[in-house]
Amino acid sequence: MSGVGPTSAAEHADVPGDRPGGHVWQRAGLDLRLLLMSALLIIMGVVFHALSGGVFLSPENLYNLAQQTAVVGIVSTVMVLVIVARHIDLSVGSVMGFVGVLIAYLMYTSGWSWQAASLAGLAVALLVSMYQGALTALLGVPSFVVTLGGLMSFRGAAFLVADGKTQPVNDEFFQRLGGGYDGGIGVTATWTLTALVIVGLFVRLAHERTSRRRHDMPLEPLWRDLVVTALPCAVLIAFAWTMNSYQISSKPEPQGIPIPVLIWAVVAGVLSFLVHRTRFGRYIFAMGGNPDAAALVGIPVRRVTLLLFALLAILVTLAAIVSIARLNAGTNSLGSGMELYVIAAAVIGGTALSGGSGSILGSALGALIMQSLDSGMLLLDVAIGKRMVIIGQVLIVAVVFDVLYRRRFGER
Amino acid sequence: MAPATDSAKPLVELRDIRKAFGGVHAVDGVSINLYAGEVVALLGHNGAGKSTLMKMLAGAYPVDSGETVVAGQTVDIRAPSDAQDLGIETIYQTLALADNLDAVANLFLGREKLTPWRTLDDHFMEGQARKVFQRLNRNFTNIRVPVRALSGGQRQVVAISRALYFNARILIMDEPTAALGPEEAAMVGRLIKQLKTDGVGIFLVTHDMPDVFALSDRLAVMKNGRLVGTYRTADVTEDEVLGMIIAGKRPERKAQAEHA
Repeated sequence: MSGVGPTSAAEHADVPGDRPGGHVWQRAGLDLRLLLMSALLIIMGVVFHALSGGVFLSPENLYNLAQQTAVVGIVSTVMVLVIVARHIDLSVGSVMGFVGVLIAYLMYTSGWSWQAASLAGLAVALLVSMYQGALTALLGVPSFVVTLGGLMSFRGAAFLVADGKTQPVNDEFFQRLGGGYDGGIGVTATWTLTALVIVGLFVRLAHERTSRRRHDMPLEPLWRDLVVTALPCAVLIAFAWTMNSYQISSKPEPQGIPIPVLIWAVVAGVLSFLVHRTRFGRYIFAMGGNPDAAALVGIPVRRVTLLLFALLAILVTLAAIVSIARLNAGTNSLGSGMELYVIAAAVIGGTALSGGSGSILGSALGALIMQSLDSGMLLLDVAIGKRMVIIGQVLIVAVVFDVLYRRRFGER
Repeated sequence: MAPATDSAKPLVELRDIRKAFGGVHAVDGVSINLYAGEVVALLGHNGAGKSTLMKMLAGAYPVDSGETVVAGQTVDIRAPSDAQDLGIETIYQTLALADNLDAVANLFLGREKLTPWRTLDDHFMEGQARKVFQRLNRNFTNIRVPVRALSGGQRQVVAISRALYFNARILIMDEPTAALGPEEAAMVGRLIKQLKTDGVGIFLVTHDMPDVFALSDRLAVMKNGRLVGTYRTADVTEDEVLGMIIAGKRPERKAQAEHA
């Protein structure tokens, strides 16, 4: 059941035996769907590794895979919330292209600093989102239609910014935001960060247990809480170790975690916090679960929707920055077709298109599955046509699975 | 809770309230009042306008014209939060629950308790929720599963708990027993009597005649958006009430009642 809403996190586990079939693991936030997706990711990795003659799971390939996934991953996190609230944004790819070219143009042609150019890009993205958001939230025009128009218009705008000319990005610091040669944070920083996050997770667990005891809440057995906290820590250590194993031969030190992946992780962390710990997140889920009820209990539906679109604008700008930094240029085709990858990642990650259900972690897994499939087939020299056919069908399999899963477990 | 000295003055006065959707007059010049510690049953066919009238008091629809007076003050209720601030709580027939959220989240929906850091104070809310749910149903403990997994009675408990927890002084109940089994319906009946003693004023929208005669002090009948009449429940018979609902015919030689 967990992963379906803000109240399903591990910390909300209830009295043992409360719920029919409510086994200790089911209440742990380790829901079946996320486990299945993780298993799928591992199986895909092993199969591609074998078929590619030991290339796929090499640190170099995993490093590249991780940083390639970051742009889609960043936008997917917020797309989950947009879909949960029963909206959709088809214009994310076009807006990202528009904003990306604009930032690159301001830096290259107008000679602005990267900070000023990025802020200008953010301002434009916010204007775009307020325009689309106002049509959706205030006038009640379906977001599908509004953003379908945006998909066309802002692709055109991306062309108009620089008259279709590619805008190179030369700032060395800025380029690091996209990963690549100098885009890793290095060995020491990687281990330090990993250690800090692990300490943070255990501190949070201790705080959680103290607080539950103070409020006379039932506690889960300590061993269970420790296992649930240790599991992500193990994944984190494995990831840090892999990133620290990749060394470009011309460099004195291994790469460490790529900066775009770090940005993605921070974004996912912030959005998870919003979902589980703030009114904003709870209202988004309530609006998706029952829009009438949300209005009747006095949730400011319009304001929350506008805020959601503003959040989307911020993350699309961030994705645009990472994207042009990685490509070292802004082109008018930047982000073409990305909306499909972003939505697919959210859906594969268990976000229901009918709204009210979805998880940020799921979207990360979904994005990784999509990118692994794409990169893996590229590595095996599968032709572009076949790749597209297969990825399209995988999306359908994901939705069919979603429908069957919900039917099996009694969700709508 | 309204002090006893206020019982001379109505808790709620709706004066000449009008509401039209397109060209249809859903509520057409209705005046009605409600005293503290009183249950007023609101009756009428589907589409008679009783739910629309109540939704205006609850802040879900704006009024077109007319005056709303709560505890002697003329008020302007533009949103559900305005009504909540005045102590008006509504239990909708649909219950207005977000199915994907759990009972605790639904109880506090729109009025979450926050920590000093502006984050949700989940432990506080869970503790409070346990207490209020216990009052209504001692067996209701699975409060952390999405409410779609709950029984009809448990869902009703969540909806009623909203009114209890936030200390309603005016309570609107729209068909509170329609979806319930006999035992749960009896629980709701006992609760209404308890709230009455506490001085809560209750508008009871219902089709159920036994409920009307068992629970209400007065009854008001609406037909086609207009008020047919308001009577003391003890003064009229079931046949007379049905006559008002079906034919819009006022009973002969019976005085209308502006208060109980």
